[in-house]
Amino acid sequence: MWYVGGEISLILNPDSMKPIYIQISEWLESEILNRTIDTNEKIYSQYQLAEMFNINPATAAKGINILADEKVLYKKRGLGMFVAADAKEIILIKRKNTKLNAMVTELAKEAVQLNVSEEELINMIRGMHQKIKGEEK
Amino acid sequence: MKTVECIELTKQYGKTKAINNLSFTLSENKITGLIGRNGAGKTTLLKMIAGYLRHSSGEIQVFGVNPFNSLKVSANTIFIDNGMSFSNMLTLLELLESAKRFYPNWNHDLALKLFDYFSFSPNLSHVNLSKGMKSTFNMIIGLAARCPLTIFDEPTSGMDAGTRKDFYRALLKDYIAEPRTIILSSHLIDEVEDILEEVLLIKNGEKLLHTPVEELKEFAIGIRGKTEALKEWMEKIEPIYIQEIGANISYAVIKNDRSLIELENAKAIGLEVVPVPTEDICTYLTSKTKGGIDHVFS
Repeated sequence: MWYVGGEISLILNPDSMKPIYIQISEWLESEILNRTIDTNEKIYSQYQLAEMFNINPATAAKGINILADEKVLYKKRGLGMFVAADAKEIILIKRKNTKLNAMVTELAKEAVQLNVSEEELINMIRGMHQKIKGEEK
Repeated sequence: MKTVECIELTKQYGKTKAINNLSFTLSENKITGLIGRNGAGKTTLLKMIAGYLRHSSGEIQVFGVNPFNSLKVSANTIFIDNGMSFSNMLTLLELLESAKRFYPNWNHDLALKLFDYFSFSPNLSHVNLSKGMKSTFNMIIGLAARCPLTIFDEPTSGMDAGTRKDFYRALLKDYIAEPRTIILSSHLIDEVEDILEEVLLIKNGEKLLHTPVEELKEFAIGIRGKTEALKEWMEKIEPIYIQEIGANISYAVIKNDRSLIELENAKAIGLEVVPVPTEDICTYLTSKTKGGIDHVFS
C-alpha cells in the first residue's frame, strides 16, 4: 500500500487469513532472525509499529505481546521490550514445530487415504530417515 | 474508564425507533468504528452522544453525565459531520483562529500545517468550498481541536481517494501523539479497519456486534462448492448469507464456530473454505435478507 504524500507504509497482506497482529509478530520474528534487531536490543514500540504499518497501536501491542508470552522478548520496566538472549532459538524451534507438524499431518492423511497401515508408514519414515542420515555421512 | 455508556438506549421519532434498546460502553482513549448501512441509526446515536438530541428512554452517560444540555460534555466533545455550518462573514483562516479561542487543547500549529498541506486559500469562505474540500476543512477542525471525545460522522464523504488516505493517516498520527476517545462512523469498513481498535456494528437501531476489530475479521468464513454438497453439509447450520453463483455452484457465509473436523469433512466432499473480507462480513450481517439484492430480481 503506497501512502500518498511522501511516506511509505510497510506492506501487510490484507487478504491473508492471518490477523494483522499475527502478521506483526511474524514480521518482528524475521527482524530478529536476520539480526536487524540483535539480542538485548530494544524492539520497536507499539507506537512505532502503528506508524510504520498504519495500524491501531492496540493491534501492534497484541503482536508484541505474543512474542513476550513466548519469551522471545523481555520487558525492562519503564524502558520497553528487548530481544531475549535465546530469542533466535525460540523462534527457530517454533517455526520447525509448526512446519514439521503440518507436513506430518499431510503425510498421515495421505497414508490413511491410501490404506497404508500405521506400521508400514513408520517403517517408511524410518527407512527414509536412515537413508538421508547415511547420505549425510 | 468509561467515556460513553448507554443502557437500553432508545430514540423514537413518532412511532419509528431510530435507536432501539442499545447497550454498550466505550472506554477511554480507544478508536471505535461505528458501522452500519444507510438509515441504521448511526447519526442519531452520535448526535445523542454529542448532546444534540434528547433520548426517549433508557440511559446515556458521557463523561459520567447525561450529555443533553451538559456544559461538561459540550466543552470536551467535538462532533464533525458534513452539515457543519460556519459563518460566511469569516474567512477560512479566521474560522481557524476563532476555533483556537474556543477549544482549550487546540493545536494551531497542526491546523495551519494541514491547512497548508491541503492547499486551502486563506481568504476563501466556507460556503465556496466544494463538498470534498468542506469535509477536509471540517476534518482539520476536528483533529486540531484535540477534544477528549472526538466524533467524526462519515468524515470522508466527498473526499477523493488520496485525501481519504491522508485523513486516516493524520488521524492515526495525531491519536498516537495525543490519545483520546474517537468515534468514527462509516459504511466503508475497508478503509478504516486497520486504524480501529473496536467495531460497533448496528442494524435498524440495534446492536449486532461490539468487538475488537480482529475478532470481526475472524467472525465468519465462506464455504463454496457444488450446491447439493453445500446444502447437505449445511443442513444444521444457519447461514449468514447464501447465494447461488453459477450453474450448480453456491457460496455460503457462516459463523466461524465450526470444529476443524467439520471443516475437514467439508473439504473431503469437495467444498472450499475461504476467508471472507471484513467489508463483506459487515454487508451480510447488516443486509435485510439472506440473499441480498439478487432476491429482488429472482
